[in-house]
Amino acid sequence: MALSAQDKILYVANKLGLTSLKDMQASTGAVYDCDPEESGQIFTSAARHVNPAVTNLNTNQFEVNEALLVETIGFYINDIEESVGNVRNFQQVYGSNAVIVFDLIIGNKRTMVQTPVFAAGGPYTFANNAVDGPNGLVIPRNQVYLEGAGILIPPQIQWSVEYRIFNVVTGAVIPFEASLSLGCYLFGTRVLLNFNTSI
Amino acid sequence: MSQINKLAYVDSKLGAPSEGQQTTRILFNTIEAPGTTSGLIFFKTFQGLTNGQTNLTQNKLDSMESMVIKTIWLAQYNTAGALVTFGANAGLQFQQTLSVLVGNQQVVKNLPIQFNQGVNGQAYDRLHTNAGAQFYGNTSRLEQQAQPCEIRLLTDIVIPPQVSFEVRIDSTNATYGTGAVVCALSGYGKIFSAGNTF
Repeated sequence: MALSAQDKILYVANKLGLTSLKDMQASTGAVYDCDPEESGQIFTSAARHVNPAVTNLNTNQFEVNEALLVETIGFYINDIEESVGNVRNFQQVYGSNAVIVFDLIIGNKRTMVQTPVFAAGGPYTFANNAVDGPNGLVIPRNQVYLEGAGILIPPQIQWSVEYRIFNVVTGAVIPFEASLSLGCYLFGTRVLLNFNTSI
Repeated sequence: MSQINKLAYVDSKLGAPSEGQQTTRILFNTIEAPGTTSGLIFFKTFQGLTNGQTNLTQNKLDSMESMVIKTIWLAQYNTAGALVTFGANAGLQFQQTLSVLVGNQQVVKNLPIQFNQGVNGQAYDRLHTNAGAQFYGNTSRLEQQAQPCEIRLLTDIVIPPQVSFEVRIDSTNATYGTGAVVCALSGYGKIFSAGNTF
Protein backbone atom coordinates (compact mmCIF):
# COMPACT_ATOMS: atom_id res chain seq x y z
CA MET A 1 0.00 0.00 0.00
CA ALA A 2 1.34 3.36 -0.98
CA LEU A 3 2.28 5.97 1.59
CA SER A 4 -0.52 8.50 2.03
CA ALA A 5 0.04 12.25 2.13
CA GLN A 6 -0.85 12.33 5.83
CA ASP A 7 1.56 9.49 6.58
CA LYS A 8 4.37 11.30 4.78
CA ILE A 9 3.74 14.54 6.67
CA LEU A 10 3.77 12.75 10.02
CA TYR A 11 6.87 10.76 9.05
CA VAL A 12 8.86 13.88 8.17
CA ALA A 13 7.51 15.80 11.16
CA ASN A 14 8.65 12.99 13.44
CA LYS A 15 12.11 13.00 11.84
CA LEU A 16 12.36 16.76 12.38
CA GLY A 17 11.08 16.63 15.94
CA LEU A 18 7.90 18.56 15.14
CA THR A 19 5.77 16.91 17.78
CA SER A 20 2.77 19.21 17.55
CA LEU A 21 2.28 19.12 13.74
CA LYS A 22 0.00 16.11 14.06
CA ASP A 23 -2.50 18.20 16.05
CA MET A 24 -2.88 20.88 13.39
CA GLN A 25 -5.66 21.35 10.84
CA ALA A 26 -5.23 19.30 7.68
CA SER A 27 -6.33 21.01 4.49
CA THR A 28 -5.69 21.38 0.77
CA GLY A 29 -3.70 24.34 -0.43
CA ALA A 30 -1.54 25.98 -3.03
CA VAL A 31 1.09 28.70 -2.94
CA TYR A 32 2.12 30.72 -5.97
CA ASP A 33 4.56 33.40 -6.91
CA CYS A 34 6.15 34.87 -10.05
CA ASP A 35 9.51 36.17 -11.11
CA PRO A 36 8.96 39.72 -12.40
CA GLU A 37 12.61 40.52 -11.53
CA GLU A 38 13.71 37.90 -14.09
CA SER A 39 16.17 36.54 -11.55
CA GLY A 40 15.66 32.88 -12.37
CA GLN A 41 14.24 32.33 -8.89
CA ILE A 42 10.64 32.04 -7.81
CA PHE A 43 9.36 32.45 -4.22
CA THR A 44 12.56 34.10 -2.96
CA SER A 45 11.14 37.60 -3.54
CA ALA A 46 7.57 36.85 -2.50
CA ALA A 47 7.76 39.39 0.32
CA ARG A 48 8.07 42.22 -2.23
CA HIS A 49 5.21 41.10 -4.47
CA VAL A 50 1.62 42.22 -4.59
CA ASN A 51 -0.86 39.89 -2.93
CA PRO A 52 -2.83 38.30 -4.57
CA ALA A 53 -2.01 39.66 -8.06
CA VAL A 54 1.47 38.13 -8.04
CA THR A 55 1.65 35.89 -4.97
CA ASN A 56 -0.40 34.63 -2.05
CA LEU A 57 2.60 34.63 0.29
CA ASN A 58 4.11 37.20 2.64
CA THR A 59 7.41 35.37 2.72
CA ASN A 60 8.79 32.14 1.32
CA GLN A 61 8.50 30.17 4.53
CA PHE A 62 5.54 28.88 6.45
CA GLU A 63 4.86 29.98 9.97
CA VAL A 64 5.00 27.77 13.03
CA ASN A 65 3.10 24.52 12.65
CA GLU A 66 2.14 25.14 9.03
CA ALA A 67 3.44 23.02 6.17
CA LEU A 68 2.70 21.93 2.62
CA LEU A 69 3.17 18.51 1.11
CA VAL A 70 3.89 19.39 -2.52
CA GLU A 71 2.06 17.01 -4.86
CA THR A 72 1.81 19.11 -8.04
CA ILE A 73 4.17 21.75 -9.41
CA GLY A 74 2.79 23.91 -12.20
CA PHE A 75 4.13 26.78 -14.29
CA TYR A 76 2.29 29.62 -15.99
CA ILE A 77 2.84 33.15 -17.23
CA ASN A 78 1.70 36.20 -15.29
CA ASP A 79 1.10 39.43 -17.13
CA ILE A 80 2.78 41.93 -14.82
CA GLU A 81 1.35 44.95 -16.61
CA GLU A 82 -2.05 43.84 -15.39
CA SER A 83 -2.49 44.86 -11.77
CA VAL A 84 -4.97 42.04 -11.25
CA GLY A 85 -2.52 39.30 -12.21
CA ASN A 86 -3.52 37.98 -15.62
CA VAL A 87 -2.72 34.26 -15.92
CA ARG A 88 -1.61 33.07 -19.36
CA ASN A 89 -0.48 29.77 -20.79
CA PHE A 90 3.29 29.19 -20.89
CA GLN A 91 3.28 27.52 -24.32
CA GLN A 92 1.32 30.32 -25.92
CA VAL A 93 3.91 32.87 -24.80
CA TYR A 94 7.23 31.04 -25.14
CA GLY A 95 6.26 28.53 -27.84
CA SER A 96 6.10 24.76 -27.97
CA ASN A 97 9.87 24.38 -28.19
CA ALA A 98 10.50 25.99 -24.79
CA VAL A 99 11.44 23.88 -21.80
CA ILE A 100 11.72 25.00 -18.19
CA VAL A 101 14.50 23.23 -16.31
CA PHE A 102 14.00 23.77 -12.59
CA ASP A 103 15.25 22.80 -9.14
CA LEU A 104 13.07 22.80 -6.03
CA ILE A 105 15.15 23.91 -3.06
CA ILE A 106 14.00 23.51 0.55
CA GLY A 107 16.36 24.93 3.13
CA ASN A 108 19.83 24.18 1.80
CA LYS A 109 18.77 21.04 -0.01
CA ARG A 110 17.81 20.51 -3.63
CA THR A 111 14.87 18.14 -3.51
CA MET A 112 14.25 18.13 -7.26
CA VAL A 113 17.12 18.60 -9.71
CA GLN A 114 17.16 19.71 -13.33
CA THR A 115 13.56 18.71 -13.83
CA PRO A 116 12.23 19.57 -17.30
CA VAL A 117 8.74 20.91 -17.89
CA PHE A 118 8.08 21.00 -21.60
CA ALA A 119 5.98 23.83 -22.97
CA ALA A 120 4.42 21.34 -25.38
CA GLY A 121 2.86 19.62 -22.37
CA GLY A 122 4.03 16.72 -20.32
CA PRO A 123 5.27 14.43 -19.03
CA TYR A 124 2.02 13.55 -17.29
CA THR A 125 0.17 16.55 -18.46
CA PHE A 126 -1.67 16.47 -21.70
CA ALA A 127 -4.70 14.60 -20.55
CA ASN A 128 -7.81 16.75 -20.82
CA ASN A 129 -6.07 19.68 -22.41
CA ALA A 130 -8.05 22.78 -23.00
CA VAL A 131 -8.80 23.22 -26.69
CA ASP A 132 -9.32 26.60 -28.27
CA GLY A 133 -12.43 25.77 -30.27
CA PRO A 134 -12.40 28.18 -33.24
CA ASN A 135 -8.77 27.51 -34.11
CA GLY A 136 -8.44 23.91 -32.93
CA LEU A 137 -5.42 24.82 -30.84
CA VAL A 138 -4.15 22.61 -28.06
CA ILE A 139 -3.46 24.50 -24.84
CA PRO A 140 -1.21 22.22 -22.82
CA ARG A 141 -0.73 22.10 -19.08
CA ASN A 142 2.81 22.58 -17.80
CA GLN A 143 2.89 20.57 -14.63
CA VAL A 144 4.76 17.86 -12.81
CA TYR A 145 2.76 15.48 -10.68
CA LEU A 146 5.06 14.20 -7.98
CA GLU A 147 5.39 10.44 -7.76
CA GLY A 148 5.12 8.64 -4.45
CA ALA A 149 3.80 10.82 -1.67
CA GLY A 150 5.21 14.22 -2.63
CA ILE A 151 7.78 16.42 -0.90
CA LEU A 152 7.14 18.20 2.39
CA ILE A 153 7.98 21.85 2.98
CA PRO A 154 8.26 22.01 6.77
CA PRO A 155 7.39 25.01 8.93
CA GLN A 156 9.80 27.95 9.08
CA ILE A 157 12.08 26.68 6.36
CA GLN A 158 12.67 28.84 3.28
CA TRP A 159 12.02 27.31 -0.09
CA SER A 160 12.45 28.43 -3.69
CA VAL A 161 12.34 27.28 -7.29
CA GLU A 162 15.36 27.99 -9.48
CA TYR A 163 14.77 27.79 -13.20
CA ARG A 164 16.03 28.54 -16.66
CA ILE A 165 14.11 28.46 -19.92
CA PHE A 166 15.74 26.81 -22.92
CA ASN A 167 14.93 26.18 -26.55
CA VAL A 168 14.91 22.38 -26.63
CA VAL A 169 15.57 22.32 -30.39
CA THR A 170 18.68 24.49 -30.40
CA GLY A 171 19.69 24.22 -26.76
CA ALA A 172 19.94 28.00 -26.40
CA VAL A 173 18.69 29.92 -23.38
CA ILE A 174 15.50 31.81 -24.26
CA PRO A 175 15.46 35.45 -23.13
CA PHE A 176 12.64 36.57 -20.86
CA GLU A 177 9.57 38.07 -22.51
CA ALA A 178 9.09 41.71 -21.56
CA SER A 179 6.28 42.42 -19.11
CA LEU A 180 5.54 38.72 -18.73
CA SER A 181 6.93 36.81 -15.78
CA LEU A 182 7.07 33.10 -15.19
CA GLY A 183 4.87 31.95 -12.35
CA CYS A 184 4.92 28.74 -10.37
CA TYR A 185 2.42 27.14 -8.03
CA LEU A 186 2.88 24.32 -5.57
CA PHE A 187 -0.30 22.41 -4.81
CA GLY A 188 -0.84 19.71 -2.26
CA THR A 189 -1.91 18.70 1.22
CA ARG A 190 -1.65 21.65 3.58
CA VAL A 191 -1.24 21.81 7.33
CA LEU A 192 -2.73 24.90 8.97
CA LEU A 193 -2.04 26.23 12.41
CA ASN A 194 -4.76 25.21 14.83
CA PHE A 195 -4.75 26.59 18.34
CA ASN A 196 -7.50 24.28 19.53
CA THR A 197 -8.47 25.68 22.89
CA SER A 198 -5.17 27.37 23.67
CA ILE A 199 -6.38 30.90 22.95
CA MET B 1 3.83 -2.94 -4.94
CA SER B 2 4.27 0.82 -4.97
CA GLN B 3 7.07 2.56 -6.85
CA ILE B 4 8.80 3.32 -3.56
CA ASN B 5 8.75 -0.31 -2.44
CA LYS B 6 9.77 -1.56 -5.90
CA LEU B 7 12.81 0.70 -6.00
CA ALA B 8 13.83 -0.27 -2.47
CA TYR B 9 13.38 -3.95 -3.34
CA VAL B 10 15.51 -3.81 -6.49
CA ASP B 11 18.19 -1.66 -4.86
CA SER B 12 18.45 -4.12 -1.98
CA LYS B 13 18.68 -7.08 -4.39
CA LEU B 14 21.55 -5.34 -6.18
CA GLY B 15 23.22 -4.16 -3.01
CA ALA B 16 22.81 -0.57 -4.15
CA PRO B 17 22.72 2.26 -1.59
CA SER B 18 19.20 2.97 -0.36
CA GLU B 19 19.99 6.33 1.23
CA GLY B 20 19.34 9.53 -0.68
CA GLN B 21 16.77 12.21 -1.31
CA GLN B 22 13.52 10.71 -2.56
CA THR B 23 12.06 12.75 -5.36
CA THR B 24 10.30 12.79 -8.70
CA ARG B 25 12.90 12.47 -11.43
CA ILE B 26 12.57 13.27 -15.11
CA LEU B 27 15.44 12.37 -17.42
CA PHE B 28 15.44 13.73 -20.94
CA ASN B 29 17.58 13.57 -24.03
CA THR B 30 17.41 15.27 -27.43
CA ILE B 31 18.48 14.15 -30.88
CA GLU B 32 19.05 17.06 -33.23
CA ALA B 33 18.12 16.81 -36.91
CA PRO B 34 17.30 13.08 -36.90
CA GLY B 35 15.99 13.07 -40.49
CA THR B 36 14.24 10.07 -42.03
CA THR B 37 15.35 6.87 -40.38
CA SER B 38 14.15 3.45 -39.30
CA GLY B 39 15.79 3.70 -35.91
CA LEU B 40 16.36 6.28 -33.18
CA ILE B 41 18.37 5.68 -30.03
CA PHE B 42 17.83 8.09 -27.14
CA PHE B 43 20.23 8.43 -24.19
CA LYS B 44 23.13 7.34 -26.32
CA THR B 45 24.74 10.62 -27.44
CA PHE B 46 25.26 13.59 -25.15
CA GLN B 47 27.99 15.39 -27.03
CA GLY B 48 27.15 18.97 -27.92
CA LEU B 49 23.86 19.05 -26.02
CA THR B 50 23.11 21.87 -23.57
CA ASN B 51 21.28 21.71 -20.24
CA GLY B 52 18.13 22.55 -22.18
CA GLN B 53 18.47 19.42 -24.31
CA THR B 54 19.45 16.83 -21.72
CA ASN B 55 19.97 16.63 -17.97
CA LEU B 56 22.50 13.80 -18.11
CA THR B 57 26.11 13.65 -19.25
CA GLN B 58 26.25 9.89 -19.70
CA ASN B 59 23.70 7.12 -20.21
CA LYS B 60 23.70 5.98 -16.60
CA LEU B 61 22.78 7.34 -13.20
CA ASP B 62 25.37 8.21 -10.57
CA SER B 63 26.50 5.67 -8.02
CA MET B 64 24.08 6.83 -5.30
CA GLU B 65 21.12 7.42 -7.61
CA SER B 66 18.38 5.20 -9.01
CA MET B 67 14.87 5.63 -10.32
CA VAL B 68 11.66 3.98 -11.47
CA ILE B 69 10.39 4.71 -14.97
CA LYS B 70 6.64 5.25 -14.95
CA THR B 71 6.09 7.48 -17.96
CA ILE B 72 7.74 7.63 -21.37
CA TRP B 73 7.27 10.90 -23.29
CA LEU B 74 8.25 11.61 -26.88
CA ALA B 75 8.06 14.83 -28.87
CA GLN B 76 9.13 16.04 -32.26
CA TYR B 77 9.77 19.66 -33.21
CA ASN B 78 10.39 21.20 -36.59
CA THR B 79 13.20 23.70 -37.13
CA ALA B 80 10.85 26.59 -36.36
CA GLY B 81 10.15 25.10 -32.94
CA ALA B 82 6.59 23.94 -33.63
CA LEU B 83 5.48 20.65 -32.10
CA VAL B 84 4.50 18.08 -34.72
CA THR B 85 3.20 14.55 -34.36
CA PHE B 86 6.05 12.21 -33.46
CA GLY B 87 7.35 10.39 -36.53
CA ALA B 88 4.50 11.46 -38.78
CA ASN B 89 4.62 13.04 -42.19
CA ALA B 90 1.96 14.70 -44.33
CA GLY B 91 -0.84 13.50 -42.09
CA LEU B 92 0.29 9.86 -42.14
CA GLN B 93 0.56 8.22 -38.74
CA PHE B 94 3.61 5.97 -39.04
CA GLN B 95 3.61 2.85 -36.89
CA GLN B 96 6.57 2.89 -34.54
CA THR B 97 7.65 0.65 -31.69
CA LEU B 98 9.59 1.51 -28.56
CA SER B 99 12.06 -0.60 -26.62
CA VAL B 100 13.86 0.20 -23.38
CA LEU B 101 17.14 -1.49 -22.57
CA VAL B 102 18.66 -1.43 -19.10
CA GLY B 103 22.11 -2.99 -18.97
CA ASN B 104 21.98 -6.00 -21.26
CA GLN B 105 18.29 -6.61 -20.63
CA GLN B 106 15.34 -5.48 -22.73
CA VAL B 107 12.74 -4.33 -20.21
CA VAL B 108 10.18 -2.89 -22.67
CA LYS B 109 9.97 -4.74 -25.97
CA ASN B 110 8.57 -3.33 -29.19
CA LEU B 111 5.76 -1.40 -27.54
CA PRO B 112 3.69 0.37 -30.23
CA ILE B 113 3.55 4.07 -29.50
CA GLN B 114 1.32 5.26 -32.31
CA PHE B 115 -1.84 4.60 -30.33
CA ASN B 116 -0.90 7.12 -27.65
CA GLN B 117 -0.04 9.98 -29.99
CA GLY B 118 -3.19 11.84 -29.08
CA VAL B 119 -4.01 12.30 -32.73
CA ASN B 120 -6.03 9.30 -33.82
CA GLY B 121 -8.45 8.92 -30.94
CA GLN B 122 -6.64 5.93 -29.50
CA ALA B 123 -5.12 5.71 -26.03
CA TYR B 124 -4.04 2.81 -23.88
CA ASP B 125 -5.03 4.29 -20.58
CA ARG B 126 -7.71 6.46 -19.07
CA LEU B 127 -5.13 9.13 -18.27
CA HIS B 128 -5.17 10.26 -21.88
CA THR B 129 -8.85 10.11 -22.62
CA ASN B 130 -9.32 13.46 -24.27
CA ALA B 131 -6.13 13.55 -26.29
CA GLY B 132 -7.68 12.92 -29.68
CA ALA B 133 -7.17 16.18 -31.52
CA GLN B 134 -6.74 15.96 -35.27
CA PHE B 135 -3.51 17.45 -36.55
CA TYR B 136 -3.98 19.54 -39.69
CA GLY B 137 -0.32 20.33 -40.23
CA ASN B 138 -0.51 24.10 -40.06
CA THR B 139 0.71 24.32 -36.51
CA SER B 140 3.19 26.95 -35.38
CA ARG B 141 5.40 27.51 -32.36
CA LEU B 142 2.79 29.63 -30.60
CA GLU B 143 -0.27 27.89 -32.05
CA GLN B 144 0.16 24.27 -31.10
CA GLN B 145 -2.14 21.73 -32.72
CA ALA B 146 -0.28 18.48 -32.07
CA GLN B 147 0.25 16.51 -28.87
CA PRO B 148 3.36 14.89 -27.51
CA CYS B 149 3.28 11.09 -27.36
CA GLU B 150 3.08 9.76 -23.83
CA ILE B 151 2.70 6.28 -22.38
CA ARG B 152 2.17 5.48 -18.72
CA LEU B 153 3.71 2.09 -17.93
CA LEU B 154 1.77 -0.46 -15.93
CA THR B 155 4.93 -2.02 -14.53
CA ASP B 156 7.58 -0.07 -12.67
CA ILE B 157 10.88 -0.33 -14.55
CA VAL B 158 13.92 0.30 -12.38
CA ILE B 159 17.14 1.96 -13.56
CA PRO B 160 19.74 0.99 -10.97
CA PRO B 161 22.84 3.08 -10.19
CA GLN B 162 25.63 3.05 -12.76
CA VAL B 163 23.88 0.77 -15.24
CA SER B 164 23.62 2.02 -18.81
CA PHE B 165 20.19 2.39 -20.40
CA GLU B 166 18.73 3.53 -23.69
CA VAL B 167 15.43 3.97 -25.49
CA ARG B 168 15.07 2.72 -29.04
CA ILE B 169 12.40 3.64 -31.57
CA ASP B 170 11.94 1.39 -34.60
CA SER B 171 9.89 2.19 -37.69
CA THR B 172 9.83 1.78 -41.42
CA ASN B 173 11.63 4.97 -42.34
CA ALA B 174 9.57 7.37 -40.27
CA THR B 175 10.11 11.07 -40.86
CA TYR B 176 11.58 12.91 -37.91
CA GLY B 177 12.59 16.01 -39.80
CA THR B 178 15.44 18.44 -39.37
CA GLY B 179 14.39 19.96 -36.04
CA ALA B 180 14.76 17.76 -32.98
CA VAL B 181 13.17 14.80 -31.22
CA VAL B 182 13.06 14.50 -27.44
CA CYS B 183 12.53 11.55 -25.12
CA ALA B 184 11.79 11.98 -21.43
CA LEU B 185 11.57 9.26 -18.79
CA SER B 186 9.83 10.22 -15.58
CA GLY B 187 9.07 8.55 -12.30
CA TYR B 188 10.05 8.19 -8.69
CA GLY B 189 13.77 8.28 -7.91
CA LYS B 190 16.52 8.88 -5.44
CA ILE B 191 19.15 11.55 -5.89
CA PHE B 192 22.43 11.84 -4.08
CA SER B 193 22.18 13.58 -0.74
CA ALA B 194 25.18 14.11 1.45
CA GLY B 195 22.96 14.65 4.47
CA ASN B 196 25.22 15.76 7.30
CA THR B 197 28.21 13.88 5.90
CA PHE B 198 29.99 16.98 4.63
